[in-house]
Amino acid sequence: MILARVDGVIVSTVCHPSMVGCRTVICQPVDEAGRAEGAPILALDPLSAGQHQQVLISTDGSKTREHVGDPMSPLRNIILAIVDEPAKETA
Amino acid sequence: MRLGHVIGRVTLSKQDPAYKGGRFLLVQPFAQAQFAGAPMTPLAPGSSLVVYDNLGAGPGHVIGFTEGAEAAMPFHQPTPVDAFNAALVDQLFYNPPSR
Repeated sequence: MILARVDGVIVSTVCHPSMVGCRTVICQPVDEAGRAEGAPILALDPLSAGQHQQVLISTDGSKTREHVGDPMSPLRNIILAIVDEPAKETA
Repeated sequence: MRLGHVIGRVTLSKQDPAYKGGRFLLVQPFAQAQFAGAPMTPLAPGSSLVVYDNLGAGPGHVIGFTEGAEAAMPFHQPTPVDAFNAALVDQLFYNPPSR
């Protein structure tokens, strides 16, 4: 599980069939204080998270394959939860 | 899943039959700067990798690829694949919070 902030979205026409119809967002992993950590990653967004909202991402593909209904999907990252009280950046 | 620039192709003369129908691409993963619109630096720090592709990506394209065990999921038989191209990216909207 990764704590991340939604920083953007991608548009893709030609993609794996399991991705069709799924919103895919660009997520910036953050640390406990809300500071960016490492390079952004992509995740499916079934919860329609808003821009700059903090989310929890599962990197286990089994939940993603269950969500898209395709046991042969290559996708891994999926947003499982939207954080109510995001960690505040200190300093 | 990560984003990357396709910077080249890998051509094979003999290959495992499981790879039929696809091609291998050389991909430079996005660093933070490329998300914000910086031009791709072909030999940027950080390693490029070879990605299996059956969507038809070519040099210059931006793709979303998956890594790990899930990269081999789309194959009918167990296949040694480390990275799989899942999407050709048409547009990218990236707005990190300004501070």
